[in-house]
Amino acid sequence: MKPVPEPTGSLAVSMAVNGRAVERTVDSRRLLADLLRDDLRLTGTHLGCEHGVCGACTVLVDGQPVRSCLMLAVQADGCEVTTVEGITPEDGLSPMQQAFKDHHGLQCGFCTPGFLMTLAGVEPEDHPDEESVRELLAGNLCRCTGYEGIVDAVMAAWDRSG
Amino acid sequence: MTARPTHIGAQVARVEDDRLLSGGARFAADIALPGMVEAAFYRSPLPHARIEGVAIGDALGIPGVSGPFTAADMTDVSPFPDFDEHARPVGIFPLARERVRYAGAPIAVVVADDRYRAEDACDLLEVDLDPLDPVVTTDAALAPGAPLLFPDWPDNVVIDFPVDNPDANAEFEGRMAVSGRYEVGRHTGVPMETRGVVAEFREGRLTVWSSTQFPHIARTMLSYCLPLDENDIRVIVPDVGGGFGVKAEFYPEEVTIPWLSMRLGRPVRWIEDRREHLLATCHARDLVLDIEAAVDEDGRFRAVRGMAIQDLGAAEMYPFGYSPAFTAIGHITGPYRIPHQSVGLVAVATSKTPCGAYRGFGIPEATFAIERLMDKAADRLGIGRNEIRRRNLIGQDDIPYTTSAGAIVDSGSHREAFEETVRVTAERVAHWRAVLGDDPGLRVGSGVVNYIEGVTPTYFMTTGHWTAFDSCSVRVNPDGTAVVSVGVSTSGQGLESMLTTLTAEALGVRRDQVRVVMGDTDRTPYGLGSWGSRSTNVASGALRIASDLLLEKATRIAAHLLEASPDDIEAHDGALSVRGSPGASVTWQQVATAANIRTIDLPDGVDPGLEAAATYEPPGIEHVPDEYGRVNAAATYTNASHAAVVSVDTGTGQVRTLEYIVAHDCGTVINPQIVRGQVVGGVAQGIGGALLEQLHYDEWGNPLSTSFLDYHLPGATEIPAMRVLHFESPAPAMPWGAKGAGEAGIIGPAPAIAAAVEDALTGTGIAEITRTPITAPYVLSLLPAR
Repeated sequence: MKPVPEPTGSLAVSMAVNGRAVERTVDSRRLLADLLRDDLRLTGTHLGCEHGVCGACTVLVDGQPVRSCLMLAVQADGCEVTTVEGITPEDGLSPMQQAFKDHHGLQCGFCTPGFLMTLAGVEPEDHPDEESVRELLAGNLCRCTGYEGIVDAVMAAWDRSG
Repeated sequence: MTARPTHIGAQVARVEDDRLLSGGARFAADIALPGMVEAAFYRSPLPHARIEGVAIGDALGIPGVSGPFTAADMTDVSPFPDFDEHARPVGIFPLARERVRYAGAPIAVVVADDRYRAEDACDLLEVDLDPLDPVVTTDAALAPGAPLLFPDWPDNVVIDFPVDNPDANAEFEGRMAVSGRYEVGRHTGVPMETRGVVAEFREGRLTVWSSTQFPHIARTMLSYCLPLDENDIRVIVPDVGGGFGVKAEFYPEEVTIPWLSMRLGRPVRWIEDRREHLLATCHARDLVLDIEAAVDEDGRFRAVRGMAIQDLGAAEMYPFGYSPAFTAIGHITGPYRIPHQSVGLVAVATSKTPCGAYRGFGIPEATFAIERLMDKAADRLGIGRNEIRRRNLIGQDDIPYTTSAGAIVDSGSHREAFEETVRVTAERVAHWRAVLGDDPGLRVGSGVVNYIEGVTPTYFMTTGHWTAFDSCSVRVNPDGTAVVSVGVSTSGQGLESMLTTLTAEALGVRRDQVRVVMGDTDRTPYGLGSWGSRSTNVASGALRIASDLLLEKATRIAAHLLEASPDDIEAHDGALSVRGSPGASVTWQQVATAANIRTIDLPDGVDPGLEAAATYEPPGIEHVPDEYGRVNAAATYTNASHAAVVSVDTGTGQVRTLEYIVAHDCGTVINPQIVRGQVVGGVAQGIGGALLEQLHYDEWGNPLSTSFLDYHLPGATEIPAMRVLHFESPAPAMPWGAKGAGEAGIIGPAPAIAAAVEDALTGTGIAEITRTPITAPYVLSLLPAR
């Protein structure tokens, strides 16, 4: 039997996750999503496809929406990472979360954190009408709602008339 | 009944939402246990092959790997029992024995400290497969001399149910026959959460967390397959990220992972990845309905006959993948007065992923076929497509109406919903023609279709075992809060909220006093789970009986405490009061304290405790069809009319759904927001199946749709705005008159869009649309060569 080459090295990384300093030594191939979910136990970030299409794993890296299934943990070294846990107030819900609740913008809720993080990373004025909101949301897949409640929630949270 | 305020129909916030919005929910993949290892499966890369050997190979060099484990190691495991005496036994075994019949079939499993290393190990296994000829289509499977997927069978037929009804045949004498071969493509539920199983075996007891839709059935199946009593198995359903039917199947991994946890003495987690999901979670539809109708000159349909041909894939799926075809036969005449039918079925094994349940469950297929045939007959006779439906639809005078399939339609708004849909659709078509009229390359069209949907069905024809019952127990704690525990479980539809509302309604407690327990076989009474648009109906049926028992006792206690007559007590808003005497009232807490703690205060003849349990079998359901396939297999029937307004690009063939109109009647609406969400979400899935989704195979049986790059789910820009028109015809026999809303939306889009595309292309010489998905190349192929 031939020796199996170790497929991975490991590196020390430091980052801020939801405002708290995190230092870890991680396999260089480890996905940011797995660092968040399994190592830090921030399980609000979900994996729906692991190839960057569904958007359920969206988090903010330095304020920008990123697919944490397509980013290595080592690539987030030195960055600020925000997950759905980080945008949830200590008590109650954020205005966007409340709008999702009011407008039935979720059913099973598996895709929901990804939608919320996509929305957390954009400027409302860049998406002025329903058509542009739908364009924005087209990078996240939802299998339950038919998007109606999600679009309604965003329009309401952004003070748009339906 | 009193005139007290009701919770039924009130718009209330869902109790599930806060944890789902904040990241606080717990799905299967979120479960981590001390000492847990992760599993990865080696799946067949070939569609049909003999397994010659599995060796660890270079995977031996990876630290911490156990395995590979194969079927040969599972000496203490029994195959899934085969329950249907009319079908050939397939003997599903958790890991493939001797032969694989589809690409993706699990052959071996390895575990390691994390999934990365487990997958590394799978990549390095030495698996020797001897390729066999694939069987890719039903035509190939049925051809003389076809390769046999089950070598001890004479052919590839799993079940053959021919029907030859002379009454139907007689209708064809001297009448026009209109025929077609209608094929709904291979697509499936694709919940955003894949499947997941976590198992732990401790001190002789197995605990399994599974993203299943039927925890009690899963536990029973586990007890059949593993050397454990049912008492020694606990199945827990965590939060589930969508089911849509594909999680109402019992899968090989649900045995393999628990077995591994027993074998290794460590907790084991397996979370399906998306590629595995598209290969190994059940596929669905892939049904051909080859039918003809006998039609009078005035457009009235007299009979339908033909065959349903179901491509089952490898057939290794439980519950059986041929049940949707039976349901299709049961819905083939839709809401139309068609006196006779003679439609049989044949279900055939092929070397593709096994087919199983998906939302709609045969009814979308039946509706596609009969609605396409209606359009064809209308066109041939020169009757309008709406007019021919008007002449055939059942009306209030016909109800109760027994369809030629044996379904007893006890209520509905079939004509009213249709006429309203026609009216609104005409307005919307005019609007869109005005908006898009300047573009000569875009043509606008519409199509209106109708259906009925049997809800709360028997499970007997699907499982060969269970029928339709479910269960509930209710307990009022000493502080007046109520725990309601049910045999159904949720996969994200909002069932926790529905049962909270219904418990508040039934007991007169406040909604915030109710806690719903489901999805845990240790803490809930035996029940059949959530599928078939049944959960609210069956759970509320049992809840109603149990809460009436409990309320009778509480009323006697309250009357005693208030020195009033039990006949004068009514429960509302957390209190039991003397009717008409606002001051004379005790809280549920006072009553429950008397029942549980201050039992010294109980009236004579009243036993301590405040809880009750009940089961509920919906009335009127038949479980076995007669020789012509007739059976009233569901407790009641919803109805709806759907309309699509589409644009078609005549240059590219691209179809865009501009707007969608639904007139929907699911009886009494308990929560309007949840019902609308179910309808709209179902329509969105239906649009996906109609236009985008297809699980492709090449001519050698290799799967081509193994990622979301190749399997297209509709996004926010493909799903249009919807108009939902509500009708409410309560089900006479059901508690609260509700019917069930889970599946309805998905049924209409394919035939509505097909009709709309043809309408848009009127005058171009377009040939009939006979299959889904209706892709741009397919549309172009139907147009005359230019």
